[in-house]
Amino acid sequence: MTQLLALPFVQRALIAGVLLGALLAVLGIFVVLKRMAFLSDGIAHASLAGVAAGLLANLNPLLMALGLSAVLGALIAWLERKAKIASDAVIGLVFTSGMALGVVLLAFKQGYQPELVTFLFGNILAIQWSELYVMAAFGLAILVFLAASYKKISLMLINQDLAHVSGVNVAAYQTALYVMVALATVLGIKLLGIVLVSALLIMPVTTAKLVSKSFRQLAVYSVIFAELMVLAGLYFSVLFNLPTGATMVLAGMAFFILTFAVQKNRSVA
Amino acid sequence: MQAISVKNLTVSFGPQAVLDRVSFDVPKGGLAAVIGPNGSGKTTLFKALLGLIPYQGTIKVFDKPVKEILDRVAYVPQYFDFDRTLPITVQEFLSFNHPRQPKQSKEICHETKVGALKPKLIGQLSGGQLQRVLIANALMRQPKLLLLDEPAAGIDIEGSKAFYDLVGHVNKEHGVTVVMISHEINMVYHFADQIICLNRDLVCNGPPHEALTKDVMAKLYGPTSDFRPHAHL
Repeated sequence: MTQLLALPFVQRALIAGVLLGALLAVLGIFVVLKRMAFLSDGIAHASLAGVAAGLLANLNPLLMALGLSAVLGALIAWLERKAKIASDAVIGLVFTSGMALGVVLLAFKQGYQPELVTFLFGNILAIQWSELYVMAAFGLAILVFLAASYKKISLMLINQDLAHVSGVNVAAYQTALYVMVALATVLGIKLLGIVLVSALLIMPVTTAKLVSKSFRQLAVYSVIFAELMVLAGLYFSVLFNLPTGATMVLAGMAFFILTFAVQKNRSVA
Repeated sequence: MQAISVKNLTVSFGPQAVLDRVSFDVPKGGLAAVIGPNGSGKTTLFKALLGLIPYQGTIKVFDKPVKEILDRVAYVPQYFDFDRTLPITVQEFLSFNHPRQPKQSKEICHETKVGALKPKLIGQLSGGQLQRVLIANALMRQPKLLLLDEPAAGIDIEGSKAFYDLVGHVNKEHGVTVVMISHEINMVYHFADQIICLNRDLVCNGPPHEALTKDVMAKLYGPTSDFRPHAHL
């Protein structure tokens, strides 16, 4: 174990996992509160267009995907307000168009693309220092913003009109929330991939709900479950040479089942 | 002085006018009830009063555009649109609205009987308890105007009576002007001192015994409307 921890790629994986686990777990509370789990899925798939554009233009695919996802997050928030279209329909439009654009762009790139496989299924062990710096900068900025404004965002998600009367700029905070979820989702793609990234937004908070008796507890337990999920997934994937992202998701599901069983057992007793 | 002054208010969504040249005043310290069938524009009226939607005409709240006095307006919504299984305590909900609780916080919680509910989860409250929490939340703004959107919907008769008593107390003892949307015609007949009837345009406006005639009720709800002005509460 000590030998493993001495390896630079394992160190980078641990730092990235702990940071993004906390970030996605905290944002997951708002995603579940607003019932918008589909948003992160949609953004993750649509970001394929950014990844493809980056590969095609020989630019950093992560930065391209981050830029595109921020624009898409703001666009979805704007369309929801202005076009009077249901949220899931708007996300469905963006989701499929982004994915389709990504597929078309990739058709222009010849040969095997290892980076593309990483983006589809994630590979935390392949994270570079440069990517880690990007994750740390965006992740910490989002966490600081959330710490300062979580009360306003929560009120907005509970009832927009009530938030408006309380002086919350609903349009601005809704856009900010969507952009933050979009950015965090793309950052999480390196861990779990486009296909599985929403697991880190949904699983920790869903498990934490089973044992929390307040919003504060929900935030603390969500982060704890997310870190357990990341660390257990990382440990077992290295131990048994399994795909890391998928192992993390299975670890998350195991924690959920275990917590659910313990809770059920207690309520029966 | 008028708490609310509405002149020629028209709100349209597409070609259809949801509210058509509606004009009325609510005096300072008044307790007004807005009634009308579903789709008559009641909630649209509230959204216009709160500055949430574009409109034609003039709305003044205490002689000012609502934007300038929004910090003295409180609003109690009809429902919450969030996952009610998420654990948010009453105490936490109140802190979302009021990061710094006002000095009167204890007194307000006592008056509204919310003190004992603070550790409870919002999603586990009964309809009556939730409305008391929302009233407490509204009072912490020390409002001059309180807007209530169907506050007693889904509450049993006893809870409803207790809720109307609380609103009456807020109006009389705190001097807060109250405007509420209600479907409980028999209750507001005895309770409000002004009735505003809407059915896209203004059908009636005045004290209950003058405004709520059989003709008006037929115009609002059809000839079979169940209205008993002298029924006991």
